Order: sequence, then C-alpha cells, then structure tokens
Amino acid sequence: MVAAPREGLLRRTVTAGLVAGVVLVYLSMVGLVEAFSHRQAVTGIGAEAGPGLLTLGRVMIGGAVFLGGLILSGRLSQLAAPSAVGRLMVVGGAALSGLIAGSVLALFVLVVSVIDVRGVFLSVTPALLDYLTFDQGPALGALIILMSLGIISALAGGIRLLGLQDRGAVLKALTAALLISLLEPLLRPILGQLELADVNRFLYAGGGLTQPAAAVILGGVAAASWAWARPAAPLRQRVRDLPGEQRRMIGIGAALAAFIGLLILPQISTGFVSLVLVNVGFFLLLALGLNIVVGYAGLLDLGYVAFYAVGAYTVAVLISPSSSAGGPITELVGTAWAFWVALPIVMITAALVGIFIGAPVLRLRGDYLAIVTLGFGEIARILFGSDALRPWVGGPGGVIGLPNLQLPVVGFQFTSPSQYIYPVIAFSALAAFVAWRLANSRTGRAWNAIREDESVAAATGVNITNYKLLAFALGGTLGGLAGALFAVQLRSVYPGTFNIIVSFTVLAIIILGGMGTIRGVMVGALILVGLPEALREFGEYRFLLYGAALVAMMLLRPEGLFPSRIRRAELHEELPPEEQEQLPKSGGGGLAVSAGPISTYGPGSQPGG
Amino acid sequence: MQQQASAKATAEAAGDFESHGLILQVQGLTKRFEGLIANHNIDFEIPRLAIVSLIGPNGAGKTTLFNQITGLYQPSEGSIGFDGVDIIGLAPHQIVELGMARTYQNIRLFENMTALANVLVGHHVRLHAQWWQVVLGLRAVREEEERSRRFALELLDLVGLPRHYADDLAKNLPYGDQRRLEIARALASEPKLLLLDEPTAGMNPRETRQMTDLIGNLRKELALTILLIEHDMKVVMGVSERITVLDYGEKIAEGTPDEIQRNPRVIEAYLGKQATV
Repeated sequence: MVAAPREGLLRRTVTAGLVAGVVLVYLSMVGLVEAFSHRQAVTGIGAEAGPGLLTLGRVMIGGAVFLGGLILSGRLSQLAAPSAVGRLMVVGGAALSGLIAGSVLALFVLVVSVIDVRGVFLSVTPALLDYLTFDQGPALGALIILMSLGIISALAGGIRLLGLQDRGAVLKALTAALLISLLEPLLRPILGQLELADVNRFLYAGGGLTQPAAAVILGGVAAASWAWARPAAPLRQRVRDLPGEQRRMIGIGAALAAFIGLLILPQISTGFVSLVLVNVGFFLLLALGLNIVVGYAGLLDLGYVAFYAVGAYTVAVLISPSSSAGGPITELVGTAWAFWVALPIVMITAALVGIFIGAPVLRLRGDYLAIVTLGFGEIARILFGSDALRPWVGGPGGVIGLPNLQLPVVGFQFTSPSQYIYPVIAFSALAAFVAWRLANSRTGRAWNAIREDESVAAATGVNITNYKLLAFALGGTLGGLAGALFAVQLRSVYPGTFNIIVSFTVLAIIILGGMGTIRGVMVGALILVGLPEALREFGEYRFLLYGAALVAMMLLRPEGLFPSRIRRAELHEELPPEEQEQLPKSGGGGLAVSAGPISTYGPGSQPGG
Repeated sequence: MQQQASAKATAEAAGDFESHGLILQVQGLTKRFEGLIANHNIDFEIPRLAIVSLIGPNGAGKTTLFNQITGLYQPSEGSIGFDGVDIIGLAPHQIVELGMARTYQNIRLFENMTALANVLVGHHVRLHAQWWQVVLGLRAVREEEERSRRFALELLDLVGLPRHYADDLAKNLPYGDQRRLEIARALASEPKLLLLDEPTAGMNPRETRQMTDLIGNLRKELALTILLIEHDMKVVMGVSERITVLDYGEKIAEGTPDEIQRNPRVIEAYLGKQATV
C-alpha cells in the first residue's frame, strides 16, 4: 500500500472512502440494493446454475465505489506529480479509498449480523445480508466486500490514468451496457412488438443481458467511441469540416428523426410505454409553463400545482355529465366538441387565477414569494377537497365520468394512452414553440431584466407589474392546459392528485435540465418522470432519486444538464474551449473576458469614444 | 436622430412647468426617512441642453435626489416637473417613457444578460411588440427586432464599446466598459435628460478623460440634457455649465463653475469634512 506523502492527498482519499462507504450503507439500509437484487446485469456470471452473481444491486454497489474512485483519482491526478510514483499514488489512493468504503460496508454487515435492527430498519433483512456477503457468512463476506471494492476502486484509478480517448471509450462502453441492461423491461416489449424476437433472444435471457450481448455492446461502443474520438478521426473531421449550413441541416434532420421516432414509438411498444410517455408529457407541459415564471422571470413559484388543479377541475366541471353542474358544455355542444370548446375557457380561467395569485405577491421577492406561493398551492388542494366546495367539485371524491377526448370532424375517439400521447405531444410542441418564440423577444428580455434586478428593470422602462402578471398568467395557462389534458385522459379528477410533490417535481425538472432552456426541460422531464416510472424498482425511491440527483447536480454541474450558453458562462465564468478559440481575433490585447474576476479593471479601454 | 424631433414635439406641447426652456424643475423637494431628512426643501432646475453637475460631500443627499427624480422614491413634499409634466406619483417606467434615463453609482447592469441584451432592454419603452404578436411571429415584430438590434449596435459604437462584446455577458466586461454599457443602455431609451451618477468613479485618469469627452460628445450628437453627480472636480469643472452643491440634504450654492469655486460656503463644506478639491 502506498501511503500518500502529502497530507492533502491522504485526507481526500480517506474522505472519499468514508463518503462512499456511507453511501453504500445508506443504499442498503433503505432497501434500494435489495430492490435490484433480483435482476442480473449480465446473466450467468459466477454461477454454474441458477441466477448469476452479477445482479444490478451489486452493480449499484460496485458502481458507486467505481464512480467514487473515478472522481477521487481525478482530484489526485491533479495533485500528484506526473511521474511513475505519482501514477502509483493515484491508483493506490483509489484502492485505499475503495478499501475504506468496503470496510465501512463490511463493518455494517458484521454489526447487523450480530445486532438485529429490523425493528427500526425494515429493509435490513437476513436476505440482504446474505446478498451482500454472497451467501458466505458475515466473516468471509466482509472480507469479500473489502477486497472486491478495493479492486474496483483501483480499477477506476487505473482507468483515470488512461488517455482521454481510451478512458472515454471504456466509460461509454460500461454506461451503454448498464443502460441497455437496466432498460430491459422497456426494450423487450418494444423489440417483441417489432417482431425482432431474434434480437430479443440475443440481448436478453430472462432478467439480464446475455454474455455474448454484453461482449458485443461493450466492444462495439468502445470501438465506436474510440474511433470517433481519435484526434484525426476521419468521420468527426468530416462532420466538423462541413459548412455551417449543412451541419445545421444534420442537426435538424436528427431532431426530426427523433420526433418521428417518438410519433411511431407508441404504436410499436406496449401501452405501458405510452402511459409513461403521456405522464412525461404532462410534466413537460407543466415544466414549460413554470419555466416561464421561474426560468425567464425569476419568480420562484412553489405552488404551481394550483394551476394544474384549476385546469383539471375546470374542464371536469364543464364537460362531465356527472358533475354537479351536469357538464354544461357537453350539454350545449355534445361530447365530440366538449373538450375543445371547454379548452379556451380553461385556459382563460387558469390565466385569471395566475393574475389572481400574482397580484398580491407583486411586491414580494425571492424567498418570501416562494413561501407565499407554496401556501397558495396547498390552499388550492385543500379547497378542491373541502366540504365547502363539495357541492361543485365533489369533495374528496372528485369529479368522475368525463367523456373521452374526441376529434370532432373526423369522429376519432382517444381511448388508450397510446392514442392520448398524440394530443399531449401536440400541445407540448405548441407550448415549447411559444416559450421559444418568447425567449428572445422584447417580452423575454423584459422578464430576464426583472429576474436580474427588479428595480433597475423598472428604472430602465420595464413595466414590472404587467410583465410579472403576464408571466404568472402565461405560466398558469400552460399549467391549466396540462391539467385539462390530464383530467380528460384519466376521465376523472381527485383532489389528492394535486399535492405539493407535483410542484416540487416540476421545479426539479427545470433545475435538472438547466434553468430557462427548453431542451433541458425536455431531458429533465424524461429523466425525473420517465425513468422512475419505467423502472418500477425505482418507484418507491423516486424522491430519494430526486434528492440525490439535485444534490449531485448542484455540486457537479449547477447550470443543469443542457444549460443555455449564457447560464453556463455565468456559473463557470469561463467560455467553453471551442468558443475561446474564436475570441482573440479582435486584436484588443488583454481582452480575455474568460478568466478574469467580475470587476477587474480593464487593462486598457478602446481608444476613441 | 429621433430624439431631436420628439424633443421639439414635446416642447410645443409643454404645460405649466415648462418655462424659459427648462427641462427639469424641482420645487421644495423634501425627503424624510423615518426621522432622517435626506433632502430638505430643494429648489433646483435644469435648462434644456445644459450639462449640470450635482456635487457635495458624501451623504449630502445627491443620490436620494436622483432616486426621487427617476421615481424610485416618492418625495415627502415638493414637486418635480419634467418636460412640462408633473411626474410625482408616476412609476419609474412611465418616467423613462417621458424621456429620462439614468446610470448608477455602483454599476447595476443586468449582469447575466449579454451586453447587447442590456441595451435592448433599454430600448424596451420605444418598442411595441406585444407577447402575442411575438408568439405569432408577425412581420412587424421581426422588423422591429432587427431595427432595434441595429440601433443597439450603433449605440455600442457611440459609447465606444467594441462590437465583439455584444454577445458577452455584461458582468464579464472590464470595469470601464461596464460603465460605458450602462450609458448605452440608458441612451437606448432615447432620453431627453440623462442622469449620470458618478460616471468616472473608480476609473484611472485616462479612462476618466475618455468618459469626459464622451459626455460632451453625447450632448452634441444626441441633443441631450445631462445631469451629473460627480466627485472628480476636474471633470465637474471641465464639463458642466452649471453646478448645484448639496450639503446635509440642503442646497447651499448654485452657479457657474467659476462662482462655485469661489463660494465660501462650498469651500467650507468641502474643507470642513474632506480636504479634497
């Protein structure tokens, strides 16, 4: 064992090991490890008969340590000298932190094998212990844990020492294999539907990737990544050399292909996939709306669910024959037109509610605004479930019996999620278009100015009252629209649906994706809503996942996954390398905007004024 | 430019406050903050197309006066007439619309917006696009946007900001250029009266000289009236035609630079507290 000579190195190593160890114990204690203990990552590894040992639960433990080792060795390799000794220190440090993490977990195993803590921690079962120790008993199992985690972490350190190109290939291959294995419950039915039974049989064998498939995926992705990242890779070079116009065409083409793929997907997959996508769509609509309020105008609204509820209830009362109002719109225009006639009313109602909520909080900023809107969200939920409004909206029982969504002239009825997905996509696209148009306009700039500095915005000529109310109204309209679609798809509305968690989820989507960008919102919705629904193992741990994702995000990439260029520059105070290259042509000698602190004195202003 | 025409138009439509070609007329202005009197009974006027400086020791109430003129604070007593309109009670953005713009002592740009976007926000009051027109992508909106963009770039040229800064975040600009950008943002609202709060604060002598030249040029090229808060006496004496001196919230002197330099009360106010000048 190479002890790190510098105190900083040793301290970092020990800290990383302890953190990883605590994470492992935590994952085990909450039951997440066991939830994934029945699915294999790759089948038949390490066992002659029966299920293999390489299950997803163990992959999770190993993966956490691997990731920890990778991050730690990245830090270490910055500190250590670029010599043989330095390299040894990086790998040794990673191994040491793996051993420390392993010893924490081993200690946990030893302790709980003696002391029964199931009274408090329900998930700490004998089955979990057997699983963690590979059925070898506490003593031998602890040793196995220790050694294997040490080796995994050392491997991560070794991978860190590889060149950028090789490292990228290895990591991408591992990620791809893991993803394909993880998404088995989603991919198998789709492949089945496509009558690609052969592919199915090649890839999956009852709860895991087959060994040949794993080999092909690992090898294939690694080779492709390696070839693409080669400094003089012909393919990448050719793409880069294309004129801007053509590159844009390729981008548009790719987006179009993805969109068409999305349109076809519900037809070639199971209803389950469609249901997940429909849910993602609702949250996408909500997130696009909240993005206007929070991302563009900087008004932190924690009660956004109120609009979702207003939209859902308005449409329900207007078109459901079994509502107390008897569905006046349905009576008036018939079931075919009901939704479409009700929709403008819903949107106007939601906009008015936005103004109604917005008006009293106009003078509040930041935290105060957040608290008050949080209250509004709760008020909405409680009101809709209350006895006071029971005669109109049905109290806890809600409103049922909404007619199906129909396309009037064609006479088409939407019944299943695989059909509802299309109006959801259409409205989401419309909302994204509206948000995109507004972003770079007089309106969007006025919002941004309010976000940056309210009083200066006012003194620069922005009518902050109007623009704040506009943000609330437009955000509310989109939220109401999402609620209306949600109600008509479910064909019923219950107050319990509209809890505070919806507000938080939508906000988390925006933060994860990158505040203020539309692409980021889409990816955020897919990850935070789609993933937990698609992987039922995660279902119970959804909020754990949100919390972990957000904390990790804030530490590692506070600008979100797909930030706008501006936001990225804001948080890192440097331009990405490719943009830096283009800058210094201007001739202005020390105009490096990139690295300087915010208010350095300019080395020399431009001559002439 | 457009200002000249509009300045003429409003001059014709001048109301009660308008007399002797005054663009700003402050009468009996008093501002109290919970017992503290920041401005006391100030009478103060600015002739059209003049450059007027407001000086006084720290804490004399200069910025408070600025904040009342631009509508950020409501005065406790007194009246403010701007270009023939009583502006007491108007919201800040309405005052901007009437043709007043300002900069800040401690630079207050929209830091996380690009330099160009900062100027475009300044142009906001002169644009007409409504949100629904933007969503529909009307041709008038696109043309207005294009015009506004060109106008903003011209303003960057005018204040001497290199165009390649246009897409940089405001906060990443060098200090002196941030001050210039603030002026460009103010000019974008096509003001008749420009209020500059210590435009040369924190600048080196060379930058200060450039800023002084810029202020003179702006008046000439844009037919502006300028009110200046400034501590650098070289700038004050060099650029302004009239000077108003505040001390402890009250006006203690008013006159041409020569008169002010000889005024015993001014000398006392300055030498008594801080031995500069």
